[in-house]
Amino acid sequence: MRALYMNLVFKILGKKIFALAVLVGVGVWLLAIPAFTGDLGANPVEKLLHQSGEIAIWTLGAVLSLSPLRVLFPRSWLVNALNRHRRIVGVSACVYGLLHFGFHLLYEGDVQAIARGFAKPFVWFGLGGLSILVILAGTSNNFSIRKLGGKNWKRLHRLAYAAAALLIYHQAIAGKGHWNVARWLLFSLLALQTARVTKMLFTRLRCINRPISGLPAVTTAP
Amino acid sequence: METELAQANCIYRPWDLAQPAVTPEAYYLRRREFLRVFGLGVAASALLPPGIRAESATLNDSLNPSYKLDGVKLTPEELVTSYNNFYEWGLAKNEPKERANHGWKTRPWSIEIRGLCANPRKIDVDELIQLLGPIERRNYRHRCVEAWSMVIPWDGFPLAKLIDLAAPKTEAKYVRFTSFFDPENCPGQRSNDFPWPYSEGLTLEEARNQLAFMAVGLYGKPLRNQNGAPLRLVVPWKYGFKSAKSLAKIEFVTEQPITLWNQLAPNEYGFYANVNPNVDHPRWSQKSERVIGAGFFSGKQPTLMFNGYEKQVAHLYAGMDLRKNF
Repeated sequence: MRALYMNLVFKILGKKIFALAVLVGVGVWLLAIPAFTGDLGANPVEKLLHQSGEIAIWTLGAVLSLSPLRVLFPRSWLVNALNRHRRIVGVSACVYGLLHFGFHLLYEGDVQAIARGFAKPFVWFGLGGLSILVILAGTSNNFSIRKLGGKNWKRLHRLAYAAAALLIYHQAIAGKGHWNVARWLLFSLLALQTARVTKMLFTRLRCINRPISGLPAVTTAP
Repeated sequence: METELAQANCIYRPWDLAQPAVTPEAYYLRRREFLRVFGLGVAASALLPPGIRAESATLNDSLNPSYKLDGVKLTPEELVTSYNNFYEWGLAKNEPKERANHGWKTRPWSIEIRGLCANPRKIDVDELIQLLGPIERRNYRHRCVEAWSMVIPWDGFPLAKLIDLAAPKTEAKYVRFTSFFDPENCPGQRSNDFPWPYSEGLTLEEARNQLAFMAVGLYGKPLRNQNGAPLRLVVPWKYGFKSAKSLAKIEFVTEQPITLWNQLAPNEYGFYANVNPNVDHPRWSQKSERVIGAGFFSGKQPTLMFNGYEKQVAHLYAGMDLRKNF
């Protein structure tokens, strides 16, 4: 009975519509509803700017933790269900990033102020990271994968790590004391990557030691 | 929170006027009705200082006409008391209001005046206010280093009065301001990585300037906890972080004091931190500022040199390279 329930839960978790609802829902909850109920506080544009930036970077963090999790827990139904959504989670990070950039323009207010902003390295890091996300989102369709070939596509999409590095730095220096928040994202991503690489190395070593028999046979209970 | 605030307002303070001397609020609120009857309403309301017109002030002070700030709109009280950088209570600006009003007592409160002065003392804040009163109201521009601004009606007394009381010795060149340290009640002081307690500093000359102010209230009410109760510094020609909140110690020293933000990021937050549209913050321009409460699409205005107080303070920095001493 329990297994049946779990099965249903994972089926729902694996549905595209579920992922879409969560990803759009975050924006509705944190941006749209407060904007329409006048709940953005004393400095509404700043609030939208910060809120959208936070959503973007944590969404990026989420997508980058999905593949290490799959390597670490290849049999977890939960991890496998969530891994079906990597594309849409990644594209959402880009969309929220673009929204964040839009709020930045609105926040600066006029062309001169926007131009002054572009002189700041702080803005370069954000813009650099966002540009990568736009390229990756633009090529995250089956057509691009076919056109580039799986290997090249994979190589290109490794740029996501560069984007994460740039954007975590952008977040860390965004405000006084923001490093306190950004470091949790950085440390957890680093921990996941380290664990993934370690596990892959171990697996490889094991394969080299037992070249003939390969992987041990898996016996299933009757 | 509301009840706590009400209680705070009910406490008898020796520096309040004696009860019989106060015009009963009902009469006070009806004074305009009286004036209207005599056809003087319009003329009279133009004469009344704007802050006093609508509020029933519990601090019974009056606006110092030299600091009226003609033609400038005051930031609504609701925004002044809900949008605060007070990292002891959290990094988000709504957090101080939410967190500083759960059992953190800002009365009774004692302040230590010490260092190189003839009259050091440890004194209760209300006694100090009584000693240095009467309190007055001043409308001051407030410019945050994060490029937003407000206009706030503060109630308090000139810092110069406190300095005269302390009588600094000739070796004293700087004043160091230290905020409270109470990690038991204050989450930020337990969990985030700042060298608490908050500290700030001024040169003695700056501290003696007529603009330097000790606020004990705003909008005619005692300071709310999130605004730095019970007593805070207000130096309106400098970025907001210089105006240290909830002071516990005021010291007279010889050397330029180490201040919290300057220690954390010396390239971003200088010791002087004078408002200056020509010296950028490394991450953003200081040429303009967002006016809090001015609306969604509008509300940016050019930032003024020394936040518009050039006449009063420019002489303090004559001959100084303001790009270097930012």
